[in-house]
Amino acid sequence: MEVRRDKRPETGKEINFLLPKYKKHLLKNGAEIYIVKKNELPIIRINFIINSGSKFDPKSKFGVSNLTSMCIDEGAGEFDALQLSDEFEYLGARFSVHSDSDITILSLQTLSENFNVALSLLSSVILSPHFKENDFLRERRKVQTRIEQLKDEPDYIANSAFEYFLFGRKNPYAFPVIGIKDSLSQIEIEDIRKFYKRLFNPHNTSIVAVGDFEDERLISQIENIFQHWKAGEKFSHRSPENNINGRKIYVLHKHESVQTEIRIGHLSSKRNDKDYFQKQILNLILGGQFSSRLNLNLREKHGYTYGINSRFNYFKDDTYFAVSTSVNTENTAGAINEILHELNNISDGITETELAFAKSSISRRFPLNFETYSQIASNFGSKIIHNLTDDYFETFLDKVLNVKIEEVNKEAIKSINTDSAIIVLCGDEKKIREQLKNLNLGELIIVDYNQMYSY
Amino acid sequence: MNLLDIDCEKYSLANGLEVILYNNNSFPLVAVNLWYKVGSAQEIKGKTGLAHLFEHMMFQGSENVPKEMHFKLIQEAGGTLNGSTSFDRTNYFEKLPSNELELALWLESDRMGFLLASLDQEKLDNQKNVVYNERLERYDNQPYGLAWEILISNLYPEGHPYSWATIGNLNDIKNYNLDDVKKFFSKYYSPNNASLVVAGDFDLETTKKLISQYFEPIQSSSKIETVTTTDQKLKASPKIVHNDNVQLERLYLAWHTVKAFQEDDSSLDILSDILAGSKNSRLHKKLVFELEIAQDIYAMQFSGKYAGHFMIVATAKAGKSLDEINKVINEEIDLIVNDGISNSELQKSKNGIKSSFIYSLQNLDTLADHLNLYNFYFGIPNSFMLDLERYNSVTEKNVEHAAAKYLKANCVELRIIPKGKNGS
Repeated sequence: MEVRRDKRPETGKEINFLLPKYKKHLLKNGAEIYIVKKNELPIIRINFIINSGSKFDPKSKFGVSNLTSMCIDEGAGEFDALQLSDEFEYLGARFSVHSDSDITILSLQTLSENFNVALSLLSSVILSPHFKENDFLRERRKVQTRIEQLKDEPDYIANSAFEYFLFGRKNPYAFPVIGIKDSLSQIEIEDIRKFYKRLFNPHNTSIVAVGDFEDERLISQIENIFQHWKAGEKFSHRSPENNINGRKIYVLHKHESVQTEIRIGHLSSKRNDKDYFQKQILNLILGGQFSSRLNLNLREKHGYTYGINSRFNYFKDDTYFAVSTSVNTENTAGAINEILHELNNISDGITETELAFAKSSISRRFPLNFETYSQIASNFGSKIIHNLTDDYFETFLDKVLNVKIEEVNKEAIKSINTDSAIIVLCGDEKKIREQLKNLNLGELIIVDYNQMYSY
Repeated sequence: MNLLDIDCEKYSLANGLEVILYNNNSFPLVAVNLWYKVGSAQEIKGKTGLAHLFEHMMFQGSENVPKEMHFKLIQEAGGTLNGSTSFDRTNYFEKLPSNELELALWLESDRMGFLLASLDQEKLDNQKNVVYNERLERYDNQPYGLAWEILISNLYPEGHPYSWATIGNLNDIKNYNLDDVKKFFSKYYSPNNASLVVAGDFDLETTKKLISQYFEPIQSSSKIETVTTTDQKLKASPKIVHNDNVQLERLYLAWHTVKAFQEDDSSLDILSDILAGSKNSRLHKKLVFELEIAQDIYAMQFSGKYAGHFMIVATAKAGKSLDEINKVINEEIDLIVNDGISNSELQKSKNGIKSSFIYSLQNLDTLADHLNLYNFYFGIPNSFMLDLERYNSVTEKNVEHAAAKYLKANCVELRIIPKGKNGS
């Protein structure tokens, strides 16, 4: 039998996707735990999410949160740094500690058969890290070298300059998680110990466990292991008022660069606000996926770039909207022009067809976000970090499908504009300057990245 | 039940297309993964980068799919998709809610069978610009971004299929014309040079029927030529210094080894793990942890269909000498050659590998791609256990022997040095 090739095949019957079942429980020590059921494979994933990201770095000591997460597994309980790493490796377990702006996350993935031993190693990292001076000094030197190395990476320079100028130095989100050169040398081992003592406490911690658990057994196991974890304070943080100064263009010179990294964007409203879905839909159309307006224009029409995207970047206490791309130097002005053109155009709103595409894409994509153990853990993590409602996943599809075009075209479009957008460029300054002459974009500020944080 | 026994069915269509079906209805997703047995290894001098550029052209629409619609239709259906090109093969893959399997089969068959008529100069010029920017972004504008190209062009003799990078030379990319692209398609994008994996939640009989309806009418071209190579040996140990806009010096060492899945390939994988795979691995412990002369250290056995090599890469801390790092690396290699490795080191590596096999089963894309990989090398897609056994059977002696046989031979040494400095 011949098939028809001249039209898209029809969609089959509705799939049967069930959200993973989960239980939320408050432990006696004050930490909350989400236990999520998944049983296709003998794998367990457990994440400890601690409200201790770099926004809690002490003033003028940027980098403490990151260094704490680097030092915390350099020896703990009965093991020194190398032994501890060997113990995890021997189990075939994957263990990592990582800080971002909002949180520190300790994550463990292991085969079920090794879970008990791996959990006890993880608990010694949380409860009894050694924080020895020589380990601290070594890790600090590593960070200092890394900060030097980052000067080589144009995308990193563009991102960090964008966040610095967007948030302004009163806001801790303005500073990189890794810290800055001048503050690193100020940090001492005592700062790490204090930071750990203050923030690593059960009231400031949430746990997500994904696997084939008997809930009660896991709860009592964790209760037992962490029973002596000393209570403390649940930390929160408020960002300062951000002042928006109108459009500015910052240029960071990168010697002999053959591309220009471009960031254009501005601040926006927080993640748990009611317009989240409207903004997601709007952004999907503008720059959130391959067939977005921005990508079709700058990549598929003009060939200016390998790829371009836009996104709302949600921190816990702030949000920004940003367009990011890198283009060959000769096309810098052309690319900026087209980006601004698309940003201006979107203020006319999206079409019914685009809305239908976006709804379909987001809602039908939903099951794919629950495929792996780590995806599930990370979804529940977002829910915790952004204080999303208990029924967030259960009501997700309805919320997406109920978005009305007026909500996008009258309200959400206000969340994107070019007037308050700053533009950050990293590349060959002379060539960029030459090209921007005729664009009339506004004040051009030349920034020396080495001096940036002392402005 | 053995988790790694991925029970799948394999058969061929009359036109030669290999079909591999792995049915697992535990989650309502389906993955489609198509390998074309062509990569940059099939290119010739002056025409590098064509396989990869061609991969881009495969997303530009086909006879029944307008430009931009390939991505759009999959994303509208809630799916994810991409493609990638390596030395040996080009793959295309989508993952979708299981009720959209037919969409993927339609799209893949349309570009396999009916691409040429829709190719035009405008699409080609556009994607040449895109690939040009891809090359700038990922190679020319990246710190140390040219190291791989310099290394392989010195390790493999001129004309060897691994002696140029998959992305291709800038000039070659600029010079491609429509005829080059069309010829490449006719030569290599033929059902008898491809294998199709469908994995996940689907109905077996319906799917077989759909596959034959969509793919069977596509004509195969004549037999595909294969690349021939001889085993490589370095006659000397070339030392290359390249200046780049970087802060720190970096050392690259590369030795010829063996092809993928040949004897010693798995021992060399384990050797790389023992040398640099973890915090307490030998080189990491010495260079990064104790002496603190290196910022990072990395080792890997790279192996493909036509050749293989072992690489060690170390970045020097500011003011530290690459000579010293090089010396320590060689001392540590000698220690393994002379004194061997411990049973617990070996066991640690094996445990990590075993776990990785199971972790990799979580993701349907990865699983489908592995079925194609095993089929490519063994003709048997369900070779997870066989592959794991390659590692389980490695002994301490095998690892010592591999270190002695391959890492004591001539090697290419590349140093990337900050501009304005001379080689230390």
